[in-house]
Amino acid sequence: MRSTFFPVLALASALLWGPPAVAHHGFSVEFDDSKPVTLHGVVTKMEFMNPHIYFYLDVKDAGGKVVNWAFEGSPPNILSRQGWRKDSVKPGDVLTAKGFRARDGAHLVACSTVTFEDGRQLTVGGGNVKGYDKN
Amino acid sequence: MTEPSRAPLIGIVAALLASLFLTSCSGQGAGGAQASGPPDFNGVWSAPFTPDISKPLGHQPPFTPYAADLFKKEDEIDDPLTQCLPIGPARGIQAGIMPFQIVQTPAVTAILFENQRTFRIINTDGRSHPKDPDATWFGDSIGHWEGDALIVDTVGLNDRTWLDTAGHQHSDQLHLVERFQKIDKDNIKWTVTFEDPKFYTEPWSVTLPIKRQTTEIMSYSCEENEKDRAHLRRTNTKK
Repeated sequence: MRSTFFPVLALASALLWGPPAVAHHGFSVEFDDSKPVTLHGVVTKMEFMNPHIYFYLDVKDAGGKVVNWAFEGSPPNILSRQGWRKDSVKPGDVLTAKGFRARDGAHLVACSTVTFEDGRQLTVGGGNVKGYDKN
Repeated sequence: MTEPSRAPLIGIVAALLASLFLTSCSGQGAGGAQASGPPDFNGVWSAPFTPDISKPLGHQPPFTPYAADLFKKEDEIDDPLTQCLPIGPARGIQAGIMPFQIVQTPAVTAILFENQRTFRIINTDGRSHPKDPDATWFGDSIGHWEGDALIVDTVGLNDRTWLDTAGHQHSDQLHLVERFQKIDKDNIKWTVTFEDPKFYTEPWSVTLPIKRQTTEIMSYSCEENEKDRAHLRRTNTKK
């Protein structure tokens, strides 16, 4: 059940565990911190799996063309300790996701946060450049 | 009063004294050491994530010229963890966000890492290292107790793990000495000494705090849904 507990849990987790290091690889070998991106769309798929979670978002570009973007986040063990569940983000959800684009130009983002239409926000982990590091 | 009537009283006093003596023997010292045995390390623990293991030193470790050159050239893309390979014995301790569980028996202390669900076996039965061991990811570890501390000696490591995220590396001549000092029931002081004549001109040590966690070990499998490799690019941000 999603609730306002999420921000509290995320904060508690940050205090317990420090910056949200998320990955098995360094940030800079895959993503570009000079390319922040904010995208709004509908979730088409969720992979609550290791070594990263991925969710996919149908996003309309300026010309109205729909492009499916991939968003990468912390692994399930880290997110679970922050209060996440496998259905915290699920197909059909409409949300705004922030993060940083992949260096190779793919439609791939290291996601830092998602914000739902009702204002709830979740930390996803991957876009905190200073904290993003392999483990 | 007759002699037989004193016997129960003497018996009760003797039992109380014996009870006090036994309680004293089983009591724990400041570091959790039991007078009758080693300190209890059982539980789930975590040290602060330390991506650059030289940071606690305040300077780079004493590189040999070979190691200094390698450190400048290395790229994070070559980190064994990026390739989903094992984390290694010391780096596993300071993996930070992924805790580890210690399971302690008289003859063996096992460290179970959440990171890739790998583990260390530390033999505390008095054995020596095998002669000329084959090099492996976690090496051969033997341990002994010194008061409130477990001293662990590890050899037989391959040269494929890194010591940290920053890219401090080592050869198969790496010799690790770790001191797990029990401070109290929730705290351990961990000191690791790296000795590797091929990479470092002299042994160097760092100390980190290890704290008891309220969590349990969870699942983590690097290969389950790995999709990063196709997108990785060489950056060598160190230059």
